[in-house]
Amino acid sequence: MSVYKHIYRVYDGKVTPAWARVFVLARYGFNEGWSSKITIGLFTLCLLPPIVFLIGIYLANNPIARALMGFRSPQILTIDAGFFLKVLEIQSWFALPLASWIAPRLISFDLADNALPILLSHPISRFGYVLGKFIALFASLSLVTWVPCLLLFVYQSYSSPLPWFAVNLQIACGLLAGELIWIVFLSILGLALSSWVKWRVMATGAIFAAVFVPAGVGGIVTGVLRTKWGFLLNIPFMMTSLWQRLLGAPESARASFSLPTESIATMLVLACCLSIAMLNARIRAREVVRG
Amino acid sequence: MNDQIIFEDVSKFYGEVLGVNRISLSIPPGITTLVGPNGSGKTTLMNLMTGLVQPSNGRISVMGLSPTNSPELFRILGYCAQFDSFPRGINGWELIFDSLMLHGMSEAEAFELTQESLERVQLGEAAQRKIAGYSKGMRQKVRLAQAIAHHPRVLVLDEPLNGLDPMARAESIALFQELGRQGMHLLISSHILDEVDRISDRVVLITGGYLVAEGSIKQVRQEVREKPMQVLIRCDQPALLAAKMFSVNHCVEARLNTDERGVFLRTGDIDQFYSMLNEIAAEGLVKVESVAPADDDASAIYQYLIGSDGGAS
Repeated sequence: MSVYKHIYRVYDGKVTPAWARVFVLARYGFNEGWSSKITIGLFTLCLLPPIVFLIGIYLANNPIARALMGFRSPQILTIDAGFFLKVLEIQSWFALPLASWIAPRLISFDLADNALPILLSHPISRFGYVLGKFIALFASLSLVTWVPCLLLFVYQSYSSPLPWFAVNLQIACGLLAGELIWIVFLSILGLALSSWVKWRVMATGAIFAAVFVPAGVGGIVTGVLRTKWGFLLNIPFMMTSLWQRLLGAPESARASFSLPTESIATMLVLACCLSIAMLNARIRAREVVRG
Repeated sequence: MNDQIIFEDVSKFYGEVLGVNRISLSIPPGITTLVGPNGSGKTTLMNLMTGLVQPSNGRISVMGLSPTNSPELFRILGYCAQFDSFPRGINGWELIFDSLMLHGMSEAEAFELTQESLERVQLGEAAQRKIAGYSKGMRQKVRLAQAIAHHPRVLVLDEPLNGLDPMARAESIALFQELGRQGMHLLISSHILDEVDRISDRVVLITGGYLVAEGSIKQVRQEVREKPMQVLIRCDQPALLAAKMFSVNHCVEARLNTDERGVFLRTGDIDQFYSMLNEIAAEGLVKVESVAPADDDASAIYQYLIGSDGGAS
């Protein structure tokens, strides 16, 4: 029988609350995502359209600059919901390659290296782990979506000689809501697919495929069954419809195929639930070798 | 708070594959070693205890906490998994520091505790190098440092001596013994039976997912009654001693030691054996120099209960 001298002291200092630890993971995820030069390159690319739009807003609000550029008509560029719909669409689709590149770096590496047991052997839950990664991806995508969109909106409000801001507040709300819906969807989808495809390049491809392949299937369904409901598999179509309605922009030429907003919302929620189920099945500290 | 680790009728099945079956155990503070062949369920038992896998049946309590309550559990528990897997691209220092940040320490405290744990496992100089470039022994050390860094009450170490050179192994054992003496709860799985003898207060023998025995090595050995105990007696007249013992005790085997200054005796009744030996020594017929049990070690009980040497080294 050993005689124990109980001099060992358990750590009894202050600890941060559980929610704060999620931000530790988010911070490391953010660093991991942005440690690649390709991420920086994609980010730079994503900022080019806002610069072009910024110049457009400047020209639209500055007759002297227009004249110097040789544009006589004041109608050359109208800054309205249609303009911001273009901004929103372009930024949203630029966010896709960025999400496809960053998401696998956040999760595939941990799974490929079997690092989950060591990470989850901490006072952090599986939900906390996924939430930390989600925040990292969400924050990264925010930098190229709603942040530049709203900055452009603010600049237009500032530049316009008319009382533009109050009249067009719906555009700002639509930009924010439309981009938030898109990047939440993209982040959850990206993390879910990355958790199932360990090879990072394949995971990047899988994210693109998940967005565009169902659109093709939906097109076949629409063509064969002669029903508009096949468009519920067409994510680009659904998102464009949703963004148009959120911004109050005129419906596109394909308005005859318009889908109810409730159906679009239901499909997006279902896709998010499926992604969460995929994450739940995969993000486990499983060590398959028994010893 | 309860100071025991308790398994109550715990089973774990991976689909149709048995992990562990109907394990009931109560593990007090000190060093407890899980011993069993590959695939016996040691890692499963550790993963169940740490909540990394959920039991199919039964209940587990670690110092009064349920393993499902991972935020609370991992504040008091440090786990060193057997697998050589780390987050990509980080160095030893970052692993420990990040781990402490996840435990909720402030940066200043995490810095201090990182330094302390790296010094404890003597990995100070290599800490700034990428873990990918570490030797197997250094990886073991950094895992151990990560497990002890936050000053847990319970330390679960899966094969912590694998891959260590003799010097590092001795250092690790000394560290375990020190932590055990200080009152920490250590649960270690090991194949190295000689070292199990040296470090363990208790052993838990497991094979094929079933619990075979638990308790101190001596207790377990005494309960294996169908295997007569072997005792080495060093004396001046081993042949005479063997003859005397055979005449009065339940001795079943005698074997002279190679130097002919001792005899190995197997007996079915160890208590009567020792009392007879006292009488013989008191009569002065044989001058007894030393008496030592020859098979109350982990290797022997492993052989008797599990049936092979288990790859003991």
